[in-house]
Amino acid sequence: MRRRHLAALIVAAAPLLLGACGTDVDKAPASTAAPTRNVTNVADITAGSTYNDTDVMFLQMLIDNQKQGQQMAQIAAKRAARPEIVQLAKAVQVTQADEIKLMTGWLAEWDKPATLDERVSLHADHGGMPSTGDEEIASLKTVPKAQFETAFLNLFLAHQHNAVEFAQLELDKGGNELTKSFAERVKQSRTDQVQQMLRLLAG
Amino acid sequence: MRRKIAYPLATLGMVASSLAVASSPALAHGYVSSPPSRQAQCAAGTVANCGAIQFEPQSAEAPKGSKECNGGVAAFSELNNNSLAWKATNVGKSATFNWVLTARHRTATWVYYVDGTPIATFDDKNSIPAATVSHTVDLSRFSGRKTVLAVWNIGDTPMAFYNCVDVNIGGTGSGTGSTTPTTAPTTAAPTTPPATTAPTAAPTTAAPTATRTSSAASSGKAWAPGVSYKVNDVVTYEGVSYQCRQAHQSIRSWEPSIWTLALWLPL
Repeated sequence: MRRRHLAALIVAAAPLLLGACGTDVDKAPASTAAPTRNVTNVADITAGSTYNDTDVMFLQMLIDNQKQGQQMAQIAAKRAARPEIVQLAKAVQVTQADEIKLMTGWLAEWDKPATLDERVSLHADHGGMPSTGDEEIASLKTVPKAQFETAFLNLFLAHQHNAVEFAQLELDKGGNELTKSFAERVKQSRTDQVQQMLRLLAG
Repeated sequence: MRRKIAYPLATLGMVASSLAVASSPALAHGYVSSPPSRQAQCAAGTVANCGAIQFEPQSAEAPKGSKECNGGVAAFSELNNNSLAWKATNVGKSATFNWVLTARHRTATWVYYVDGTPIATFDDKNSIPAATVSHTVDLSRFSGRKTVLAVWNIGDTPMAFYNCVDVNIGGTGSGTGSTTPTTAPTTAAPTTPPATTAPTAAPTTAAPTATRTSSAASSGKAWAPGVSYKVNDVVTYEGVSYQCRQAHQSIRSWEPSIWTLALWLPL
């Protein structure tokens, strides 16, 4: 077993955590001043053994959210006309692909499945449906090109707002420190993406 | 094989209500994104001093029947403040209002008001909204600057969502989308071409131009948010140099790190 539990360490030194996480000695030679340089795979970050149900639910919901996000971004990279939108879609694709790996790894570490059997909504108790379903995603493939950017941005805005909601749930109720610090990153990056997309819509 | 996990509704209900207590945006559902409503302008950072609504533009929820921009929600009183720097979008004789829905509730109606009078109503007959929701509203009776109140009346709760959208009817704009030209700063327009010009123009410290396109190319400037980075740009962050692998506009938490190896390769 090469996974190590470093949650406590990581909270203290979040920006440096890369090097600290690799258990392989060759990955974090003591001589290296900047430990970040030697880790080249996000899957090397391990979550630690302390976690609760919210951590598990957050990761499962966000993996599902991001798999949908990948589909939407993929369509946008092909169909959007403005280079800024294509670029945002591609950057989202590559960063979220890594995040999916990371989250899947943590769930495996906890021996939990990475898939949701049913898509759930935080609003389920009072009749709300999640913002994005397969139908909504499929609609992006058929909407006329002239309306594509508006349709994509509005759907993806809602999608990233949902990710912020999941992240807030984790920040409020989660137990695993690394998962919570990841949630903070999700909250920040999606909030800023929302800002970019709203400006793209207004432009 | 997928394992089945169906979260019991009770659990979700519990979660949702505890979130409400924690005043998080979990119960929020939607807003008008374009022409940008006041809450959209807050969330986009176009207008400052907006208070809490900037983090949850989808949250202006209140019982049906209000005619106020904030629906009467005291926590979002900034939305009612006409002295904030709301940008009015130029529109023609009609405008198309686009919605972002973060939870798709069954919908009674969508109603648009000007000066307290309803000018358009779209009846969804208690159905779930379509993938994207937009309404084209005739504004030909009006001219000049107006504040349109757009209300989403939920079908299965007593609540509604409130948005004020500032428009300049018959302004120089063409039809629906264009804001006054002053707004543009965000979308670093000519992202690609400058890449090639940067190295050649090196002697004349040219680059710190208009839209913060990265003049960083290979110069190893400190990473910063809000910059449009191109592939192969080099930045430094916490003493380490990184090379950009995927063009992007930098945002918080996309700084070079283990989390963002897809964007930045340590050198």
